Amino acid sequence: MEQAWLIPVFGFGAFAFLALFRKYLPGQGKHLSVLAIIAAFVAVWPVLFDMLDKGVGEHHFPRDWFSAGPLEVGWGIIVDPLTIVMLALITFVSVIVQVYSLGYMRHGNADDPRVGWYFAVHSLFSASMLMLVLADNLLLLYVAWELVGLCSYLLIGFWFERRSAAEAAKKAFVTTRIGDVGLLIGVVLLIVEFGTVDVIEIMNSLGDPGVNQAVVTASAFLVFFGAMGKSAQFPLHVWLPDAMEGPTPVSALIHAATMVTAGVFLVARLFPLFDAVESAQLAIAAIGIVTALMGAAMALVMTDLKRILAYSTMSHLGFMMLALGAGGYTAAIFHLLMHGVAKAMLFLSAGSIMHAAHDETDIRKMGGLRKRMPVTSAAFTVGALALAGIPPLNAFWSKDEILLAVAGGLNPVFVVLFLVAIVLSALYMGRAVLVVFFGKLKPENDGVHESPRIMAWPLALLAVLAVVTGFIALPIGYEGIGTFLVAPGDKPHAFEVVPVWLVASVVLALGGLALAYALYGDEDTSRVDALRERFARAHDVVANRFYMDHAYQWTIDRVVLRVSAFLALFDRKVVNDVGVNGPGLSAVEAGRRLRYHVTGLFADYGLGIVVGVAILGALLWIRSVTG
Amino acid sequence: MTLLHFQLLSAAIFCIGLYGVLARRSAVLVLMSIELMLNAVNLQLVAFGAFSGFGTSTGQVIAVFVITIAAAEVGLALAIVMRLFRSRGGVNMDEIDVMRG
Repeated sequence: MEQAWLIPVFGFGAFAFLALFRKYLPGQGKHLSVLAIIAAFVAVWPVLFDMLDKGVGEHHFPRDWFSAGPLEVGWGIIVDPLTIVMLALITFVSVIVQVYSLGYMRHGNADDPRVGWYFAVHSLFSASMLMLVLADNLLLLYVAWELVGLCSYLLIGFWFERRSAAEAAKKAFVTTRIGDVGLLIGVVLLIVEFGTVDVIEIMNSLGDPGVNQAVVTASAFLVFFGAMGKSAQFPLHVWLPDAMEGPTPVSALIHAATMVTAGVFLVARLFPLFDAVESAQLAIAAIGIVTALMGAAMALVMTDLKRILAYSTMSHLGFMMLALGAGGYTAAIFHLLMHGVAKAMLFLSAGSIMHAAHDETDIRKMGGLRKRMPVTSAAFTVGALALAGIPPLNAFWSKDEILLAVAGGLNPVFVVLFLVAIVLSALYMGRAVLVVFFGKLKPENDGVHESPRIMAWPLALLAVLAVVTGFIALPIGYEGIGTFLVAPGDKPHAFEVVPVWLVASVVLALGGLALAYALYGDEDTSRVDALRERFARAHDVVANRFYMDHAYQWTIDRVVLRVSAFLALFDRKVVNDVGVNGPGLSAVEAGRRLRYHVTGLFADYGLGIVVGVAILGALLWIRSVTG
Repeated sequence: MTLLHFQLLSAAIFCIGLYGVLARRSAVLVLMSIELMLNAVNLQLVAFGAFSGFGTSTGQVIAVFVITIAAAEVGLALAIVMRLFRSRGGVNMDEIDVMRG
């Protein structure tokens, strides 16, 4: 376990090597990046077995970096079940996505011209994400947090020749940055209040006498604000759908399985902090359910396949936050893992379709694709059913855990809203599957064919995993996931089944699917059209993304740009012209006038000295006389 | 003979030197005037040393230092005057204004 810090090193090494030498390597060194991430994936397992050997729990391995005054900053690591499962998810999905990318970034017989850079940034991303989950102190965590944000920016804007991609990258970076400012302030508050950067030490001394609870409360809210930006929570979610401009494997890795879950991970890592601040926990739950419902509603009306998946991701991130707000640490992380596998598969399937159908993402132009792309459609269907919550697929088990946590820890209002969200998830997933893969094949899609094997195999592997991984919740070989993934300071809880919730969630999920079939089961769109007519106003609001993008754009145009223009004017006229140029100009002017008094004649200077000394002497004499 | 006599004499010599420095045109005469001022100061120092009544000879010692340094200064200054004469053909101070602004 001590050597777990080596896991990110592979990725950082691959990035440095590719960044410098990719031009001289065959295939721009893409295979090197894949090898590095496979090495990291292999290296996770000894860590897991070592922990099972030495005892499941929190293992801390500090290591000194530097000290500034009384502040000691290290680059040590924490290895606990949370870290292990995150390591496994990140490395596994990275391997799958990178292998898949080998096929995806090939068009015909030629690689994308910047394929080496693509893989280099992928390596950097995986390494940063691994560092994020291993970090034992707030500073290192923040560094990794910003690094993953940077990689997200670089990869969303990978095809920066397209204006929309460049804009989306900028939007993602700026929006998450707004959250990051909150996180930074929160982190600094914690460091100042506790005099240390060590996460474990801070978490252990939260309730100490002499600790200012107002600071703790403020930092809890600020840290959560950072998590909201990264995890696309309302109202900072607007960047996620636009981030779909990036290559689809990037969406699968960064904007579905790993980076967007960093916010959930952060809240879980600092769980005692939120446990101590009840109001923050309630805020997390409220933001979570609002995000979940909004995301699900928008997923229902979008016609762009990748955007449907993006809103679905947002909705599921809302579920995770809701679970954390309900105190369901296990449920949230479990859902994070299951959603990561299923959603990565959905995105890769979507990528497979786009690869075959010339980057088409409008679902109205698809249909009947199951006849042409059997592997892709099977994988997509499995993933969609899993996220709809159909047993025995993986996300069913985690959704059930969340339901138990919410029912046990929160107001019944949250339970009702969560049940509504379950119906909606089943409905939009059912719609996507039925519209894209069933029905009649459109003539323009006649030439579509299954993707190459290097893309199909990862899909098949993920489909198998989406079926089996859910069973880690069950008490097979141990007492269930609740005894492994335990919040710090919490008691482990065994697997339990509450029949009423189990039945409710299955019935609702099946009901959602049945509704989807009733609406989208055949070619006839009159039922959907009638519904859209009937609820035209509501549909408009949702289809326009609740007008939030418009509101932000208005704010930027009318408020931010106006204030900026004023500030720019102030900067030019006052700061620059008066403050910076002023002293220089006055010195020049003074010199221009004084030069006429500089004769260069010795006698003049001598006279000056004499007069000066005479005045000084006279002053001294006057002072001595007057006393 | 009291201290005042020496002070008056010293002041007189100093003023003559000062006048020479400010009013003379020839660099050599300016130099000589500076020497006069230095010697006025020396006289002052020796007089104070003799009349102080502390039984020490600090004033005389400092005067010796001043003479030493004055010798060095004259050596340097005469060299400068020589260079001036060679390069400009004269040592009129009024014509030396290369530092004019």
